[in-house]
Amino acid sequence: MAGSLARINLYHATGIATLLVLPFLLDSIGMAFYVNMIFLALMYGIAALAWNLMMGYTGLFSLGHAVFFGVGSYTVAILALYYNVTPWVGLILAGVTAGLLGLVLSPPLLRLRSHWFTLATIALGEIFRLSFAHWDYVGGSSGLQMPISERRLYYLQFTGATIYSYIALGVLAVELIVLWRIVNSRIGFYLQTIREDELVAQTLGINTFKYKTIALAISAFFTGIAGGLYTVRFRYVDPFALFDLITISTYIAVAGIIGGIYTFLGPLIGSFIFIPVSEYVRANIVQAFPRIYGLHVTVLGVILLVISLFAPEGILGYLKKRREKR
Amino acid sequence: MDPEILTSAILDGLLIGGAYALVAMGLAMIWGVMEIINFAHGDFMMLGALFTFFLFTSAGLDPIISALISFAPIFALGVIVQRGVINKILDAPLLTQIAATFAILLIIRYGVQAAFGPYTRRLVSGYSDIYINLGFTTVPLPKVIIFVTSLIVLGLLYVLLHQTDLGIAIRATSQDRRVAQLMGINVSRIYDVTFGIGVGVAAIGGGLIALFYPIFPEMGGFFALIAFIAVVLGGFGSVYGAYAGGLIIGIAESVSALFIEPALKDVVAFLIFIMIILVKPTGLFGRGD
Repeated sequence: MAGSLARINLYHATGIATLLVLPFLLDSIGMAFYVNMIFLALMYGIAALAWNLMMGYTGLFSLGHAVFFGVGSYTVAILALYYNVTPWVGLILAGVTAGLLGLVLSPPLLRLRSHWFTLATIALGEIFRLSFAHWDYVGGSSGLQMPISERRLYYLQFTGATIYSYIALGVLAVELIVLWRIVNSRIGFYLQTIREDELVAQTLGINTFKYKTIALAISAFFTGIAGGLYTVRFRYVDPFALFDLITISTYIAVAGIIGGIYTFLGPLIGSFIFIPVSEYVRANIVQAFPRIYGLHVTVLGVILLVISLFAPEGILGYLKKRREKR
Repeated sequence: MDPEILTSAILDGLLIGGAYALVAMGLAMIWGVMEIINFAHGDFMMLGALFTFFLFTSAGLDPIISALISFAPIFALGVIVQRGVINKILDAPLLTQIAATFAILLIIRYGVQAAFGPYTRRLVSGYSDIYINLGFTTVPLPKVIIFVTSLIVLGLLYVLLHQTDLGIAIRATSQDRRVAQLMGINVSRIYDVTFGIGVGVAAIGGGLIALFYPIFPEMGGFFALIAFIAVVLGGFGSVYGAYAGGLIIGIAESVSALFIEPALKDVVAFLIFIMIILVKPTGLFGRGD
């Protein structure tokens, strides 16, 4: 059966083994910068896989996933700061809050199609950014800082990114299993029918709104957990970093598009290609030309343009197409 | 409420609406003829503002004349973008079209930030402090200028689209691309001109907005969203509808600012946006797409 996990091949096994060994290995030889890079690639990868349940499988291009990401981040921070809830639980609740938000937002959002959906998600991100910046309970525009605590395991405070990488790997494993089951189930096929032609889907008796809502809620759930990982790693949340159109919403989308939106693992691969490139550009080019602002985002734009003109199916999609041709 | 305050708020909104209308008309024209949603539209507007600023500060040219001149380079840039990018994605899946025009947005917005810095610039000219006294209220001259210009541009676009051969060819292409091609119209040329005029008009808007609005690389984002609202209000693709839409949003915004905290004014604008595309996705004057 297509839904079984037994189809793990040599590539997958190598990938899993590498991901398991690499953070520990890099950490032990003192390359903390690269461990952090892996953590970021995992965090964005989790969000990009979730985003792609809407984009690649349902045909809804969201440029507002920062909303779910940010709400997840704030959930972990607020629970830990105000209610002393451990982020171990907070991470799950981050997903739940974001997922519920997805449910609440779905009646208005999912009535929209194509570019109107995309535009509305951009506007939604702006609404959340401006509202959180003016909301005192969540720290307003200065955000919330998580204090350093003695109870390190309880508050998930570790030096470096290594342990966080393994936590992210755990989340990723759960996400991959859940998403794989969904996209190979009846729901997944319904979603792809909606993507191809919503009218046909309705004619076939598919309750398109119901299945789009399911996709949005699950997508929001895992994006929220990715946001929660941001909080435990960086211990600081603020509305301008978290509800950002570029560094959150667009990064997630670009990771997905680079990897290939019509493939299952594409967004994860895309994240592992794009995040290191972006981090490299940020760390080296921006450091070399500190007075040239915005250069890394310009590079991001060029990458996105080249991909959409010459390989709109993404890297994994391109490889798949080439293999099928032979 | 004091009727005079309300009247002056409506008047102020109407004048600002002229600025929104200038940006929105080009967007509507591009959508109407090419069926492309130009996500980078606000950033062409920002380029117009920046160009005007530099012409004014380094060449000492009158800012209004500079704003009008800015049409030319942005038109040329529009033609280049149309040939290099838009033309290649006309038949691509919608997701690719969104991604590509969004990529242009990123390149322009952050390319400008990289080239000229993330600073906010202010164009302080002789026009800045002049107010016109209307008896019950005073209105700043720059806003009157932008409103009058928007009316002139609207008239020029009408003449272009209805009285010239080029305009007839543009309208024919927008009705049916293939038939237009069969009639001997060079469709690709029409698209060049349409995209060029669309972003060029936005650039004029940007240049004139700079008379009273700070210039910074990300300024286009707000105006683009406003322009999208105007286009939706006006029914997709209708230049005249988009013009009316721009005026309506200007008025709605400045009247609502009387009742809510000004800092949250933008939140209201975006909420209105989402509401409109929900309630009346074909627009107030829409032909039902």
